[in-house]
Amino acid sequence: MKKLITLEINGELTELSVEPSESLLQVLRRQYGLTGTKRGCDSGGCGCCTVHLDGKAVYSCMVFASSLQNRRVTTIEGLTGDGELDPLQTAFVEKGAVQCGYCTCGIIMTAKEFLSHESDPDEEQIRHAIAGNLCRCTGYHKIVEAIKTAGSGS
Amino acid sequence: MSLTNVKEYFTPSGKDEVLELLQTYGDSALIVAGGSFVHGLDARDLLIGIDALIDIKNIGLDEVRNTSEGLSVDALVTFTELKKAGEIKDRPEFGAVRDALEYPPLQIRNLATIGGNIASACPYFDVPTAIMALDAVVQAQGPAGSRTIDLQSFFAGLFQNALETNEFVTGITFPQLPARSASAFIKLESNANDLAIVNVAARISVDDAGVCQAARLVVGGGVAETPVRAAAAEALLEGSTLSEETVQKAAEAVGTELDPMSDHRASAAYRLAMACTLTRRAVRQAIERLK
Amino acid sequence: MTKTTVVGQSVLRPDAYEKVRGGKGFPVNVTLPGMLHAKLLRSPYPHARIVGIDASEAEKLPGVKAVLLPEDVPQKKFCPVFFVPTMAASMIQDMLILSNTVRYTGQPVAAVAATSIEIAEQALELIDVEYEELDAVFDTESAMRDGAPRLHEAAENNIAKNPVFEFGDLEAGFAEADHIFEGTYKTQRAHTCYMEPRVCVVDCDADGRLTVHSSMQHMFGLREKLAFALDLPDSMVKVIKPPYIGGGFGGKLDIGYIEPIAALLSRKTGRPVRIEQTRFEDFISTTRNPIEVYLKTGIRADGTFTARYARSTLDCGAHATHGAEVIMVHGMFGILLTYRCQNQTWEGRTVYTNNMIGGGYRGYGSPQGCFAVESQIDEICNELGFDPIEFRLKNAHHEGDPHPFLQGFNLTTYRFEDCLRQGAERIDWTQRTSPDSKQGVLRRGVGLGCQPLWVSGCVGFPDIYEHSGAIITMNPDGTANLANATVDMGSGQITTLCQIAAEELGLRADQVRMTYADTETVPFDAPSHASRVTYSAGNAVKAAAADAKQKLLEVAAIMLDTDAGDLEVREGHVHQTGTDRKLTIAEVVTRAESPFVQMTAEGPMPTTIAEKGTIIGVSSLAPPSNPSPSSVEFVEVEVDTETGEVKVLQAVFAHDVGKLINPAAAEGQVEGGFQQGMGYALMENIQFDAETGTCLTGDFLDYKIPTAVEMPRRIESIFIESNEPTGPFGAKSLSEPCCTVPAPAIANAIFNAVGVRVKELPITPEKILAGLGKL
Repeated sequence: MKKLITLEINGELTELSVEPSESLLQVLRRQYGLTGTKRGCDSGGCGCCTVHLDGKAVYSCMVFASSLQNRRVTTIEGLTGDGELDPLQTAFVEKGAVQCGYCTCGIIMTAKEFLSHESDPDEEQIRHAIAGNLCRCTGYHKIVEAIKTAGSGS
Repeated sequence: MSLTNVKEYFTPSGKDEVLELLQTYGDSALIVAGGSFVHGLDARDLLIGIDALIDIKNIGLDEVRNTSEGLSVDALVTFTELKKAGEIKDRPEFGAVRDALEYPPLQIRNLATIGGNIASACPYFDVPTAIMALDAVVQAQGPAGSRTIDLQSFFAGLFQNALETNEFVTGITFPQLPARSASAFIKLESNANDLAIVNVAARISVDDAGVCQAARLVVGGGVAETPVRAAAAEALLEGSTLSEETVQKAAEAVGTELDPMSDHRASAAYRLAMACTLTRRAVRQAIERLK
Repeated sequence: MTKTTVVGQSVLRPDAYEKVRGGKGFPVNVTLPGMLHAKLLRSPYPHARIVGIDASEAEKLPGVKAVLLPEDVPQKKFCPVFFVPTMAASMIQDMLILSNTVRYTGQPVAAVAATSIEIAEQALELIDVEYEELDAVFDTESAMRDGAPRLHEAAENNIAKNPVFEFGDLEAGFAEADHIFEGTYKTQRAHTCYMEPRVCVVDCDADGRLTVHSSMQHMFGLREKLAFALDLPDSMVKVIKPPYIGGGFGGKLDIGYIEPIAALLSRKTGRPVRIEQTRFEDFISTTRNPIEVYLKTGIRADGTFTARYARSTLDCGAHATHGAEVIMVHGMFGILLTYRCQNQTWEGRTVYTNNMIGGGYRGYGSPQGCFAVESQIDEICNELGFDPIEFRLKNAHHEGDPHPFLQGFNLTTYRFEDCLRQGAERIDWTQRTSPDSKQGVLRRGVGLGCQPLWVSGCVGFPDIYEHSGAIITMNPDGTANLANATVDMGSGQITTLCQIAAEELGLRADQVRMTYADTETVPFDAPSHASRVTYSAGNAVKAAAADAKQKLLEVAAIMLDTDAGDLEVREGHVHQTGTDRKLTIAEVVTRAESPFVQMTAEGPMPTTIAEKGTIIGVSSLAPPSNPSPSSVEFVEVEVDTETGEVKVLQAVFAHDVGKLINPAAAEGQVEGGFQQGMGYALMENIQFDAETGTCLTGDFLDYKIPTAVEMPRRIESIFIESNEPTGPFGAKSLSEPCCTVPAPAIANAIFNAVGVRVKELPITPEKILAGLGKL
């Protein structure tokens, strides 16, 4: 049976009708056209679907949409409220950390939460922070550099 | 996939409501805490016949508290929240829990809960192995009231726990451990986002003379249907001064108490060998933490 | 060598800004009005005949719009591979879109199109299939035995292809040898793990014309193969080039089942049909074939080869797909051509089994070969006391040598030695110690692996076409449009081609824009594969840009009243060489598009007919050659002798690249290639249930690829610019060797650390521990 829930997505209050088994990932892509959050595996193994739930990075493929009453979801599209690029996004572009780009948004969302409670992290901390995000193109090297740059505020 | 056959997703706001729903749906209900393993259960065909998901996030079970019984951790406390709890961060006896919480990626730590993790009865998880070494007990709530279940009884089999149909996990409690206690946990995995091939938790409690009063050696991963306490190996450590030799003997003895499986991850022989090696390393690390 | 201003710069990718904001251009985002969703029903048996299918209940389910069964598809066998002409001799046409004969667990047997994915999935459960199970074979030895189930009529003993190459006199060569080494090396089935799943949307219009969106690496290949499989002329199929795709690595170089099935369902329903594979379906769709290599090598006392014999057995699974080409590339570039030797024989066998089908994957057979060859060389050197670098150099090709395989070409630039020496220095090769001298639980070792000879595209290969085309259109604002069929799968093809065009036209890279393209609007281009884009497509883009530039100069010559030969482009201007006179490119283009008589402040001013018209440059041509890059990887590892775990500490990669177009992008190829090669060496392995053929590693929890934590903390790239005369601005290729050389380097480093030689990938901790005698 469908449920009606109210939640906040990227700063906007919205009402949603969801099936019991629907995931947040499915809802974001199908009902809202927020295609920046992506499906890579649907099983919490790749991180392409990472969003913020009440400010915390989670795999949206394993969050039940039905559990989201009064909660706050932020996707890559809502990372910056004003259309400007977040320092992480700029760093990813400038450091050459984007190749095919499919994993990029998930990693940026993970890194964004990580940097919100870890200022100026070292390389080891960064690598562990993104251990739940897979990339097949870049070898992570320039991704780590980009996060380091954004994290040091330079 | 059975998940799409689920008909209802409930979000009760109190324990009584949960119990009512369990009464109504019985075996066709699944309690959901963080929900990070529901798809995993589905992939293993363990959701067949489930009609209702009962999400208990809103029933107020989200605290870590010091009580007379010990450190109480409510079912809905996430890994991230537990990591931050002062006792877990600072006290040497909780070293194993600290270690176990380092392994899962950030996205899992933010969603996964202690209650959900334990109730899953998955031997490849890390937290169950770690907390078993600290003699943690499970708090369960049923229509007749609450009861305490020790972990070895709680883990009844592969993905099977000892709960009655109308009960659910409300939290775990870490009993007070002897003053000089320390623990450590090590996981063997193929990459940084993996289920354990083997994992080991070691806890030692010593008296002022450095003689071991109590030892717990718990092995999980693919070594059995549930995490296993290597009692014979523990007995070798207890009463000893934990010399290199004794620790080595105990590590070897762990091997005699296990009958691991071979699967596409690792052979039984490798798991057996690693259980011994990791035991030695975990005990040594716990000893270090005593200092 | 001419100085370049845009080529050679680490220009930022134009698509990066969009991708960090979400990336709308991925094919997985394509939706069309009225679109239906389709799912495939897959066989639970590895080998079976379908005796009956009843889909009547499925058809009745509300929301179901069409069902496709084996009886509904054209009975025309095809080979799904993209990059060869459809009826070419080397292709093995052994597939049907849906068949009543099942040859692997997971083979699609039926499909349903419905108004939602969930309804389609429900409908699959209502399709009743009656299977007659047949005996199955899961390994090549059993498959080749007399009496084994015959999987394809045309293949006796299940051998799909059996190429043999013989050079010189092998027997004499072995007779001359002072030492003979033999060994068998095995590699596993691995997956590309592109992050964007295979997905397509196919729309059949009322005239039967198909419009196709797909996450794939070659739009003309898709058009050709889809048309062939559906028995349509090519012109009835239009493939739209996606702005970019989420990874390919060779795994999207064939029509999966999804495009033909979506096409037929769209035809049946009159609505667009979308199919997106689940990760599990992706895992069983297209892989790097496992190859077992037996090597027998004879050497003289001085370390030079006298004879090399190899026999390679490739398990292609249920259908040949790429297996017929992979075995050839493997035999050539993974084994025979790697070093000089007069007496060589190689026998290859592509063998059918009831395992899953394979596909393309970076390196295309050469990683399997290089692992074997480089491991054996390491064994030879260790046993006989040769220095691994000097040994290789003794047997290496030389710059200027005739190409050992491709007729009519020379190794115009070949810097294998520079790669070896510079890489060795950067990793302190001379500080290496022998495994016997090492102590402690954690032991470190350094090893090297090479791919001495690779390709820049497919010129010279029998049956594989290789040409590219481009259209450059100049805009009145002084920018340029580039229309080209190359699909950017993440390696930076768009950026590279724009840089080449910009360099030629005297523009900045951001002043050249890669535009929309489909198979009706751009000239043919071969796939994004075989490391060919920079060299081959780059060559065509440069030619088109040169063509546009010539016209630009001719118009400017009229405007400046001089000869086109006196003019050059630079920094957005046309300059008269040796003077201060110049015009902006915008002015010149505008002039060409201005009226014949123009109103100016001085009154009406005429322009001439000669300079009228949009300035367009066009090319369609094959590149002039197939120059050989050369690659070497040095790796340092640390082995835990109690657990067998391997940590890769650092890697140094040296490559003869001709000319670096974009240094940051090139480093990205090296670093990403290392992740794949390292995963291949240490942890990746697609595994099956031995009895049912069911895939056991169908998600990322069970199929392990390196995360950021496992990667070495230092990966250094050394690019040697040999300035290949036939390449655009001197460039050769890069991308595939990055993925080929890590595995042998890691295997050899492990031996140097702990003295354990593992000849079967992946080199898991368990194998190392067993090699140490501890299991």
